[in-house]
Amino acid sequence: MAPKSKPQSFAAEQDLVLSTLEHDQLVKAKKHPIPRRHLKGPELAILWALRIYVIFMMIVVAYQFWIAAR
Amino acid sequence: MKPVTIETESVVITHEDVDRAHDRARVSTARARRGFSSKARLLWLLVGPGVLVMLGENDGPSMLSYAATGAKFGIGFFLPFVVITFCMAIVVQEMTVRLGAATHRGHAELIFDRFGPFWGWFSMIDLGIGNFLTLITEFIAVRAGLGFFGVPPWLAILIALVILYAALMSHRYWTWERITLAAATFNLIFIPVALMTHPNSHAVAHAFLTWQPLPDFNKDTLLILLADIGATVTPWMLFFQQSATVDKGMTTKDIRFGRVDTVLGAALAAAAAVGTILATAPLFAHQMSAGNFEAAQFAQALEPIIGRFGASLFALGMVEAGIVAAITISTSSAYAFGEVAHKPHSLNLPMGEGKSFYAVLTLCAMAAAAIVLIPGLPLVYVVLVVNVVAVLAMPPALVFLFMLVNDKEIMGNLVSPLWANILSAGVVFVLTAAGILFGVSVVAPNVFAALGAK
Repeated sequence: MAPKSKPQSFAAEQDLVLSTLEHDQLVKAKKHPIPRRHLKGPELAILWALRIYVIFMMIVVAYQFWIAAR
Repeated sequence: MKPVTIETESVVITHEDVDRAHDRARVSTARARRGFSSKARLLWLLVGPGVLVMLGENDGPSMLSYAATGAKFGIGFFLPFVVITFCMAIVVQEMTVRLGAATHRGHAELIFDRFGPFWGWFSMIDLGIGNFLTLITEFIAVRAGLGFFGVPPWLAILIALVILYAALMSHRYWTWERITLAAATFNLIFIPVALMTHPNSHAVAHAFLTWQPLPDFNKDTLLILLADIGATVTPWMLFFQQSATVDKGMTTKDIRFGRVDTVLGAALAAAAAVGTILATAPLFAHQMSAGNFEAAQFAQALEPIIGRFGASLFALGMVEAGIVAAITISTSSAYAFGEVAHKPHSLNLPMGEGKSFYAVLTLCAMAAAAIVLIPGLPLVYVVLVVNVVAVLAMPPALVFLFMLVNDKEIMGNLVSPLWANILSAGVVFVLTAAGILFGVSVVAPNVFAALGAK
């Protein structure tokens, strides 16, 4: 009895998943990463500005840690 | 328990998929019905990430900041100002709902995939450090709040950790969400506390309508404004709401309810914030110097005004603020790590299948809690550093958010229309500028003063 109900419950769960979830919601579908974005001029400029900001941010945070430690 | 893995022709279905499918089946059933009650049920089913993120943002330090604002400035400018900051938060957080529902990917994962491993790992590490420091302040709030009742620090921290782990034990996103939502509604406890102080309703209405009385615009006030604007949205909010939207299984059909969820969360959080300001406004009226009060000190200072019961409610509100934020912040760290490291990351995972997810979540919380228990540690400096980190970490997160939500390749026809881009660009600009100015004020206060502040 038990072995017969197992495939039925698996089948029911399979049907439930495939009928309620979109394909890219499935865990295994997410193993495929979304392709890298091709960045254009203004976007590259923004990312370079971000890099400069990150350096500024690290300086400020390190300074704040140093002040706090003293 | 052996993971449920079913091989079909080309699709492998996991335990996480099955759990999510059960949640989605309830949504589908409610959506198929007509009538007000089915709409109400649909709202009940889809509310969650938005309310949690907004009430989670009313964390220990935030509620303390609102309390200090009320004590320092009373009823006036800061009441409508706080409401405006939550409106800005809605604009930002709505973008995460759309991103999560459209792409079914978390925020860290999208940054990693679209902008490369450097920015993906940077975002995750940046978030992780900020979150860890913030978690320390949350446990400080819990310790201080329960300290009002004479609970020793080790027991206060233990209670917080037990509640955090109790929510996780179900290994079901739905159950975790409902438990955390129930805890988060206690944030509204500041509203009855405010009413107990019998605020002048005319003064409150006057403040909302005219933004007066204005505070003295000196350097200290400007710093408070910058810090408040900069802290309106913190990085963990972006990562958490998007990942929770994905974990909940929301799709593009649910975006409208996701927006309602976000607005509802902001309204509740704004009400609690205004309540906190009103609750401590009597301290301003009594000209009590409460600028550096901790949570328990505010409760003690209010006791002569609102009695032991009212002061107890205030202290409990601080405890709730710390615990709920600890839950949501540590979960956002775990989500981000899993997304960037390509490990399983869902609250639907059994412990065996989500080892790294639960390990990051629990270790973050336990390490932060342990630090709070170190005797003699100058925790006030941790709070100062957290403020700076939270404000400065925002601009990169906002820039990526703005770029992703306008990425036609992943958003399709859900990219922001022009009016929404103008609005969100304005908000992003204001939040970014506040963050940078706050950073300048930290490293070069003389330069900051020369910019015009007295």
